[in-house]
Amino acid sequence: MWSQLFDTIFKAEFLFSVIRITAPILFAALGAVVAEKAGVTNIGLEGIMMISALFGVLFSYWTQSWLIGVLGAMFIGVLLGLMIGFFALKLKTDIILSGIAVNMLGSGGTIFLLYMFTGMRGNTGALVSPNILIPTVNIPLIKDIPVLGDILSGHAVLTYVAFLLVWLIWILLYKTPLGLNIRAVGENANAASSVGVSVMKIKYIALAISGALAGFGGAFMSMYYSQGWNSGMVAGRGFIALAAQAMGRGEPVGAMFSSLLFGLAQALRTKVSGLQGVSSYLVSSIPYVVTILGLVIYAVSTIKRVKKTRAANPELKA
Amino acid sequence: MRNKRMFGFELVRGAAAIAVALGVATIFIFLSSKEPLTALRYLLIGPLVSIKGGVASFNTQGFYNILAAMIPTIFTGLAVCVMFANNQFNLAGEGIVMVGGFVAALAGIYLHMNTGWHAVVCVLIAAVIGGLIMLIPALLKVRLGASEMVTSLMLNYVCMYLVLHFLNYNFADRSKGSTQTYAFADTARIGSLVPGGSKLSWGFVVALVFVVIIALFMYRTRWGYAIRMIGINEAFSKYSGMKVGGTIVLAQVVGGALSGMGGGIEVLGRYTTFLWKELPGYGWTGVTIAILAKNNPLLVPLAAFFIAYLNKGCQLMATYSDVPSEMIDIIQAAIFLFFAAEQFLAGYRQKIVVKNTRADLAKVAANAEGGAE
Repeated sequence: MWSQLFDTIFKAEFLFSVIRITAPILFAALGAVVAEKAGVTNIGLEGIMMISALFGVLFSYWTQSWLIGVLGAMFIGVLLGLMIGFFALKLKTDIILSGIAVNMLGSGGTIFLLYMFTGMRGNTGALVSPNILIPTVNIPLIKDIPVLGDILSGHAVLTYVAFLLVWLIWILLYKTPLGLNIRAVGENANAASSVGVSVMKIKYIALAISGALAGFGGAFMSMYYSQGWNSGMVAGRGFIALAAQAMGRGEPVGAMFSSLLFGLAQALRTKVSGLQGVSSYLVSSIPYVVTILGLVIYAVSTIKRVKKTRAANPELKA
Repeated sequence: MRNKRMFGFELVRGAAAIAVALGVATIFIFLSSKEPLTALRYLLIGPLVSIKGGVASFNTQGFYNILAAMIPTIFTGLAVCVMFANNQFNLAGEGIVMVGGFVAALAGIYLHMNTGWHAVVCVLIAAVIGGLIMLIPALLKVRLGASEMVTSLMLNYVCMYLVLHFLNYNFADRSKGSTQTYAFADTARIGSLVPGGSKLSWGFVVALVFVVIIALFMYRTRWGYAIRMIGINEAFSKYSGMKVGGTIVLAQVVGGALSGMGGGIEVLGRYTTFLWKELPGYGWTGVTIAILAKNNPLLVPLAAFFIAYLNKGCQLMATYSDVPSEMIDIIQAAIFLFFAAEQFLAGYRQKIVVKNTRADLAKVAANAEGGAE
């Protein structure tokens, strides 16, 4: 069994699938990073992904254009982010509850919306044709390198966008005035407000960006990953993204590495469940167990670091 | 006088939130259905009124079914009340209900005991296991500062897959077509409260007893007081000498025990074998119920009744008209958003406050004049 497993893991194909599986988690994790930087916890990522995944398929079906589908999904994500903002910031519903409400819309509301728009129940099987799925691209030069080419080339356009966004979000947060405001609001809203930053506006913007990123993740899921929308497709990825944010210390690059870890766990799950004599149920729980373990390791390392700093600077103890 | 007005305001606001939610539902029904009026009739009055040949009559069986549906959600609602009152957004109730049901079923199959005690022992085992599972997010929060929300969400999936693993690989009755355990011993069944085919078991009475117990726990014991105070202001509670860490763990363990108990009672009261193949959803419904009850245990049965009624209405609507039953999620989400919104109708509250203050000032002025004469 183990030799079988090693055979499958040490193949370019496996690492290719890790990257493919990581992309949607990475989108949502970046969404969590931006929201958390502004001091809002966006627990609604899961629901936003579900809803935008559905609208991605619908928009692309109606227009027969995958690009409009992706942009439409992103637009829906922005709307939902703003909706969470409206209830949490304006009407003062607890932000966690606003997020849970969006998740409810995501789990049951989507089935209802699908029926309302198309008369279909549970999945979009008949709507999807190859021309409305997100296309894959081969990168010139890199695709000719042995092994590495097989791993890095031939992914969907959106996969590359996801990893590009890690850099873009870092630029946004650390090199632009807006990013400075977002971080200031998250760090100390009162201080930011006292120097004339509109805390509300910044939080709305952060939630909108967060929603847009989750929208990309949703589009990726329905328009590439599972080639159509179905009612159980997001399966906790929005929640895993929250964990990736926490484990990645709230930084874009850190979130990328923890997303890759979950991508690895998930890819392993698909490989292992194909083997003889392994409980597919236990294997299915791997990504979630890894997430909890990851949080524990992260927390322990943080505590150790704090202790070390304190030991090095005794005057900080007081 | 002042409190009466503000209480009235809370009532009006709650009613308005529910009205908005039902309004949203109505709009969606009109948008999606070819027979919106039939759909609405089933949603709103279907659960309790059956209409045969133009004569409306009270549907007793339907009433029992609604009460039966309240049993697990009263428990999860109470669990969420305790944890949210402590400001712990622990959402693992969902997974623990499933584990509780499974464990109680196993105890019902493999333990041999006398009638009366057997079911009690099964449910207690479910409660203990539920409390133990909740130690994971609680201790991670208190010891390591890991967000209980994220760990509990992950824990739900772990719980579900573990149950499915043991169900499929260790305890399945292979003689049956679908995956299920063997039947529980008769001694472990929770009996029916009313004659007839309804699933209304004695579990309902137990649930109501626990409503009272949890209300006393939260409002009449120092642990309950500590739980609520820490939920309101953790720093203040800490400096006034409360054991913050221990109380946070206690709140979540109580929540876990209640959730596990709810799952156990539901399985032993409603079924003859364990056959859940996915998370039953009672944990999330518990969150909605706690929001509706404003974390007050005594209001939980009322909120649970309301949600069970709507749920039943949605099922009937899906059966007898062309609107899918998932409508319930849209209604719940809308209730959630507006009911928990502190600033919803804030302008109206402002008017009440101004009115109160004017009245007070007038009284003070009148007193002052009276004193001067």
